[in-house]
Amino acid sequence: MVVKRRTAFIVALSAAAVVALILWKPTVLIYGLQAAGLYAAVAIPMGLVLGIVHIVNLAHGEFMMVASYAAYFGCRALGMDPLLAIVPTAIVTAVFGWIMFQLTIRRALKAPELNQLILTFGLAIAFTQSINLIFTSQTYKMPLDYVSASMDIGDLTFGTWSFVFVAVAIIFAYGLQLFLTKTTTGKAALAVGQNPRGAAIVGIDVYRTYGLVFALALALVGAMGALFLTKSAIFPSVGSPFTMKSFCLIAMAGIGNIPGILGASVLLGVAENFLRAFRPTRDWAEIVFFVLIIVVILARSLKGRKS
Amino acid sequence: MKRMMLALAVLAILAGSAYAQGTIKIGGIWTLADITGKQGSAAAQLAVDEINAAGGVLGKKLELIVVDDEGKADKAAAAVEKLATVDKVDVFVGGMASGAELGKIPAFKKYGKVVMSTGAAGSATVEKALGPSPESDFYFHLHPWDYNQGASYAEGWNAIQQKYPNIQIKKIFLAYEEGAFGKSSWDATKVLFGGDNRYIVDGASFKSALLGGGDYTAVLEAAKAFKPDLFLWAGYDADALPLLEQSKAMKFSPGIYLGAPPGWPIGFGSSKLSRNVMLYGMWSTAMNDNNPASAKFYKNYVAKYKEEPATYFAPLAYSAVYILVDGIKAAGTTETAPLVKALEATKYASPLGETITFKPSNIIKHQGITRQKILQWQDGFQEVIWPFEAATAAPVYPFPAWK
Repeated sequence: MVVKRRTAFIVALSAAAVVALILWKPTVLIYGLQAAGLYAAVAIPMGLVLGIVHIVNLAHGEFMMVASYAAYFGCRALGMDPLLAIVPTAIVTAVFGWIMFQLTIRRALKAPELNQLILTFGLAIAFTQSINLIFTSQTYKMPLDYVSASMDIGDLTFGTWSFVFVAVAIIFAYGLQLFLTKTTTGKAALAVGQNPRGAAIVGIDVYRTYGLVFALALALVGAMGALFLTKSAIFPSVGSPFTMKSFCLIAMAGIGNIPGILGASVLLGVAENFLRAFRPTRDWAEIVFFVLIIVVILARSLKGRKS
Repeated sequence: MKRMMLALAVLAILAGSAYAQGTIKIGGIWTLADITGKQGSAAAQLAVDEINAAGGVLGKKLELIVVDDEGKADKAAAAVEKLATVDKVDVFVGGMASGAELGKIPAFKKYGKVVMSTGAAGSATVEKALGPSPESDFYFHLHPWDYNQGASYAEGWNAIQQKYPNIQIKKIFLAYEEGAFGKSSWDATKVLFGGDNRYIVDGASFKSALLGGGDYTAVLEAAKAFKPDLFLWAGYDADALPLLEQSKAMKFSPGIYLGAPPGWPIGFGSSKLSRNVMLYGMWSTAMNDNNPASAKFYKNYVAKYKEEPATYFAPLAYSAVYILVDGIKAAGTTETAPLVKALEATKYASPLGETITFKPSNIIKHQGITRQKILQWQDGFQEVIWPFEAATAAPVYPFPAWK
C-alpha cells in the first residue's frame, strides 16, 4: 500500500513537472527528449553486451564511428541516402563484430576485468588512429534537406528530425526485450547472461551465444552509425564521448535493465537541456550527467542497505 | 673481396657526403593527421619540386624533410631536435596549432636557425614565449596573431558598412565553443566590438561536436531571442553543417550569418545551406581569377595531388618555402645572421593575394601577414568580400530567410 502510494506520488510529481515544463519552457522538454533518444539509442547495444557478455566495451563509441565512416563512404560511392544504408551497415558491422569477438573479446572473457578493459580500450585507440591515418582528422558531413524539418506551434519553432532517435531507441529497447523473452536464441542469451555455467550444463553453446549477442549489438551500433550521419559530422574521435555517456546511462539504469536506459536517458536529456535554457546555468549542463549518476547510485546504495 | 667491399663502402660515404654538400635541407614540422598539416606539407613539397626543377638554389638542390608533431608540444620539440641534430637541416618551416608551436620554441632558440612559421596565432603563449628582438629575430611569423585577426575583422566590417550602406550592423551575437579557442574569440569580440558603444554584443557558449557536443539548440534559442544583425559562430568544421541545419529547423536567419572555424568540412560548398554564409580566411580558389600567383599555385597543386587545397594553410606553406628560398638566394647562404637580414627585405607577391613583407608586431620583429579576409560562400565558392583590393565579389545581403 505504501509502495503504491509512493509510486502514485512519483508519477503525479513527474506529470506535474512535465506540464509545468510544457507551459513554461516547452523547448526544454522537446530538445531534452530528442537528446535522450540519441543517448538511449547508442547506449542500448552497450547495455546488451554488458548485461549478457559481461564485458565493458570501451570501444563501443569507436565501433559506431567506424560504422559511420563505412556508411558515409558507401553512401558517397553509391549516391545513396544514409537512411538506405542503415540495414547494409548493420549487416556489415554485425559480421565485423562477430570477427572481432572471435579474434579478441573471446580470448579475454576469462581474464581479469582489468585485462578486458585494457583490451577494449586498445581496440578503441586502434580504431581511432587507423581512421585518423587513412582519412585524416578532416570532418565529413552529408548535407541532407530533411534533417532541417521543423514544426511551428504558435511562436515556437523547433526541429523535428531528431525525434527519429526517440523512435529508434524505443524500437531497440522493446525489440530487444521481445527478442530476449520470446525467441529461443534470446532466451538462451538471457540464460547465458544470468548463469553461463548452468547454461552450458543444459547444452547451450555459451561462446556461440556470446558471439551472437555481440554481433547483434554491433548490428544495432552499425544501424546507429548510419543514422548518426544525419545528425552529426564524423571524424576519428566522434565516437569516444558516446562510450562514456552510454556507460553512465547503463550504470544509472542498472546492468541488464534495457528499458531502464530509456528512463535514465530522458532524465539526463531533460536535465541537461533545462540547465542549458538559462544563462547562469548553461555551463553546468555537462556536469549534470555525472551529478545525476552519483545521486542515483548513492540513492540505490542507501535503498539497498535499508532493505 | 674484403678490399672491394671496403672500397665500395668508402665510395658510398664519399658520394653521400658530396650529395649532402649539394643540398639545402629544410626541416618541415606539421601535424600530418590534420588536413592543414597534410596539405601544408604537400604544398611545401610542391614549392621545393618547382624550385628544384628551375635549377635549385645557389647551385644546390632543396630537400624538404617532414616530421609529424602529432599536434603535441613534446613531439614538436622532439621533431626540432631530430631535424637539427640527425638531419642537420639548414632552416625550419611549418606549424599550425599554438600548443605544438610552444613546445618547439626552446629548441628553436637553442639551435638559432631561421624559422618560417606558418601557424600559431596565440600571442599570449607563442609570441610571449618567443620574446622581443633580438632573441627572437630568427623567427619569421607568417600567420597573423590573434590580435591582428581581431583588428582586421573590426576594420573589415567598418569598411563594408561604409561601402554598402544597406548593410548595417548594430547587434552582434557570438556563439562560441566552450574550449580555449571559443573563449578567446569571445573575449576578443567583447573588446573589439563591445568596447565603444557602437555595437551591442551578446554571446553564449556551446559544446563543439569535435569535443563531444553537437547540440546547438540552446545557443540558437539565445541568439534568436537577441535578434542579431550579425551572428558569428566560433567553433570547428564539425559544427558547420549541423549548426546550419539546426538554424534552418529553428528558422533562425540573421542579416549576416558568419562562421569562423579553422577549416570547413569537405563538400561544404556543395550544400545548399552554405549559400551566403560568410567566413574569415586568407585564400580561396576564387582568387585565381585576379591573382596569377594564386592561379599558378592552384594549378600546380591540383596537377600534382589530384585534390583541391582545402584551407589557406596550403598556399601559406607554399609561400613560406618561396620566401625562404628568395632569402637564401639574396643572402648567398643559410647562415642565420645574413639570412635574417636578407629576409627582412622580403617582398613576395604571394598566392594569398598580398605582397608579404616583415614588420614588427607587438613583441617580435618579424611579422608577415596581419590581415585576414572576409569572404562569403556564393554558389559553392568562397568569394573574397574584403579587403576590397582583393575582392572577387560583392556581398549578398541579407542572409536569405529559410524556405
